[in-house]
Amino acid sequence: MESIHASEVKAICKGKMVTKHLNEVNEVCMQKGEFGREDKGHKESEDVVRLSVIAKSYAGILKELGEDVDRQGLLRTPLRAAKAMQFFTKGYRETTDDILNDAIFDENHDEMVIVKNIDMFSLCEHHLVPFFGKVHLAYLPNKRVVGLSKLARIVEIYSRRLQVQERLTKQIATAISEALEPAGVAVVIEAIHMCMVMRGVQKMNSKTVTSVMLGEFQENPKTREEFLILTKN
Amino acid sequence: MNGHCTSRKDAKDEFRLPGLEAAYTRILRELGEDTDRQGLLRTPLRAAKAMQFLTKGYHETIHDILNNAIFDEDHDEMVIVKDIDMFSLCEHHLVPFFGKVHIGYLPNKKVVGLSKLARIVEIFSRRLQVQERLTKQIAMAISEALQPKGVAVVIEAMHMCMVMRGVQKMNSCTVTSTMLGIYREDPKAREEFLTLAKHA
Repeated sequence: MESIHASEVKAICKGKMVTKHLNEVNEVCMQKGEFGREDKGHKESEDVVRLSVIAKSYAGILKELGEDVDRQGLLRTPLRAAKAMQFFTKGYRETTDDILNDAIFDENHDEMVIVKNIDMFSLCEHHLVPFFGKVHLAYLPNKRVVGLSKLARIVEIYSRRLQVQERLTKQIATAISEALEPAGVAVVIEAIHMCMVMRGVQKMNSKTVTSVMLGEFQENPKTREEFLILTKN
Repeated sequence: MNGHCTSRKDAKDEFRLPGLEAAYTRILRELGEDTDRQGLLRTPLRAAKAMQFLTKGYHETIHDILNNAIFDEDHDEMVIVKDIDMFSLCEHHLVPFFGKVHIGYLPNKKVVGLSKLARIVEIFSRRLQVQERLTKQIAMAISEALQPKGVAVVIEAMHMCMVMRGVQKMNSCTVTSTMLGIYREDPKAREEFLTLAKHA
């Protein structure tokens, strides 16, 4: 059996089979969620190795912070923290195609569809500290509508990654735009950044708002205004 | 007070940074990220410093912050400081939990500078914690410093480990309390504190 280093994978990247360092694969494929694995069993044993390395790193961090890793409360913390971190970044292993495939329907509807107050949780890629809030999104169908929960699942795919709020907003908008080819897409995110609240400048009540307007929402101020009014809380 | 000794001192923080940085770099790579992309270049260092800040309570002591701010005062009515913002790290998942701390004490001829109560919250919350222990440590610290007739501490907090992952309950709130002295023995005193802490 071919032995493979934990950091190397057989990956399918853009239709080509490669054995690459995961970083190289991800530089090209990460943000588009395009890489897949050829062998599920192989993937599972790789995941176990990765988990073990992450857990060891967390054990090291606890020691460097001056904690006693042998005390009862911390005994399994490295493993729990590693699993938690993998969960927080599971969006890397999901693609829009995976979740959308069957849920696009032909519908003669061309009025605005809004899904608002979608809870969002992400990790700031600068400090590895959570930021979270609400996503409000809308699209103007062009004869095709999508299952409503799929919009929330798109938010999940891109938010469960190391992110920057601006990029997250744009990725959600672009994903909806590419999947549905609608007449317009609007995405607004309001979030609290723990890196600003728990540390650093420590402003308890500050919120960051970002938005992306595509198509009709960008070109037509009235359409944009209608969306903004309907999503105001 | 945590029942164990930590070896970290202020001056050593700088020396520990490279070890922390290396660990975070490994974590990022094993999560499948590209540590050479622009957004992540300095992340290991930032994350290391952030983590040190979030656990700085380990090398702060009550004596450091309380020494000059205990005053003799002939006051024996309840003193409450409520809605103190609190941010801590769950020691099980290393994920934040945060909320409000409400403190009440019945002075026994000695009162403390009010901001010191908030500083006591800071000392114990900026550690790897469990909400129950945090509540008790705050109460015990006030009790030992002031020897008042009673101390009451209530914490209401949201745990990101329950909200962002696991059972994923968005609106759940965990409440813990420690009642010492007269707050434990006298239901009326306890009730007065809880009423005043709850309402404006």
